[in-house]
Amino acid sequence: MNPIITVHDLHKNFGELEVLKGIDCVVEEYEVVCVVGPSGSGKSTFLRCLNLLESITSGSVTINGHELNDPKINLNTVRQDVGMVFQQFNVFPHMSALDNVMLAPTKVLKLSSSEARDRAMALLEKVGLTDKADVFPSKLSGGQNQRVAIARALAMQPQVMLFDEPTSALDPETVGEVLEVMKALAEESMTMVVVTHEMGFAREVADRVIFIDHGQIVEEGTPAEVFDSPQHERTQAFLSKVL
Amino acid sequence: MFDDFGWENLPPLLDGMLLTAFLVVTSGFLGTVLGFLLGLSRTAPSRIARIVSAVYIGFIRGQPVLIILFFAYYVIPLMFPAVSVSRGVTAIAGLSIYAAAYIAEIVRGSMLAVPAGQSEAAAALGMNFRQKLRYVVLPQALRIAVPPGIGFLVALVKATSLTSVIGFVELTRAGRITSTINQEPIATFLIVGALYFVICYPISMVGRWYERRLA
Repeated sequence: MNPIITVHDLHKNFGELEVLKGIDCVVEEYEVVCVVGPSGSGKSTFLRCLNLLESITSGSVTINGHELNDPKINLNTVRQDVGMVFQQFNVFPHMSALDNVMLAPTKVLKLSSSEARDRAMALLEKVGLTDKADVFPSKLSGGQNQRVAIARALAMQPQVMLFDEPTSALDPETVGEVLEVMKALAEESMTMVVVTHEMGFAREVADRVIFIDHGQIVEEGTPAEVFDSPQHERTQAFLSKVL
Repeated sequence: MFDDFGWENLPPLLDGMLLTAFLVVTSGFLGTVLGFLLGLSRTAPSRIARIVSAVYIGFIRGQPVLIILFFAYYVIPLMFPAVSVSRGVTAIAGLSIYAAAYIAEIVRGSMLAVPAGQSEAAAALGMNFRQKLRYVVLPQALRIAVPPGIGFLVALVKATSLTSVIGFVELTRAGRITSTINQEPIATFLIVGALYFVICYPISMVGRWYERRLA
């Protein structure tokens, strides 16, 4: 077992509001962890703490042996190993799909443009967008943009991928194509942490499901354990509403 | 009315117009360079850079252009006693100082208008502050900045008329001189107004063209 992410007693406050109240969690290499829970439970904040898009109030997050709260850490280097996919895609609107995927490899990893292009084209093929390489985001559907965003994150060849409600902003008919791409990634043994409301996806793809409510991990286990025989009443109450 | 204008008086007005255009181009350029740097500083990680730029912008925007020009007129020669500073240099310096503060705010506002998610996506890819700015935030911010920037440039054209009070013979000053010669102030200033329009209108047209192109 090789832990990629180790979270210990993570607290996060926004001013007076305590959003995360002591989270402990380990994500092993090749593991797919789905984080579920009601809106406002802190699950997105938790995910954003894993690459320090949110600062950590107290506790520790260790990625690949790098303690994120260490003031001497080069955060940009750590982030290169942590891919992130956002609810709102956040694709770069001023460049084509291909350039979106090529940008970080050329500028951050300093790959030559032909190397970066090969890598980007291979990834666009993987997400099924070869024919959209030269198209700008404004001409792509939500599902297509989200797949560009996934390819863009993969282009850095990260050790772990974080997904922050990747299908919540999508039209229902494009949800499936994004989930398919994510499922394929899981099958290729990518380590993934997925915050999601797609219980079907979590049940089918996750190795482990974490239920967060009020800033704490209430329950965790295999999808069968959490979905079929939840132990905690808050989990039961939540699942009765969404399943 | 125009019969008594005396068309021999037109060339000096045209000279004034050229000098006005020259003031706009030079102070517009210098103001943009300085304003751009100040605007970037407002969002920089360095606290000192943020404070210095905020103080500059706040102070200059709180001054009438005329006071800035007087200040430049009296202070710049004191700062460089060895060289004789021409009125043109003073005028350009004063207008640039003024323009920089406003352009800085346009740059800052445009950068804030780029959704935070863009910057987060860049950060999540491991980009540092400069890379985020250069490849992600600025290309989007500058597009947003063009329409208000053009609007400010038109305002700058009109602000150049104030340099007449420090003795710089631009279009307004040329008009006043001409009107004392021909005693036809109405005709003279109508022509002066038309010449200002000739400068401003093409600038506005560029702005409109740009907005259409974006749409």
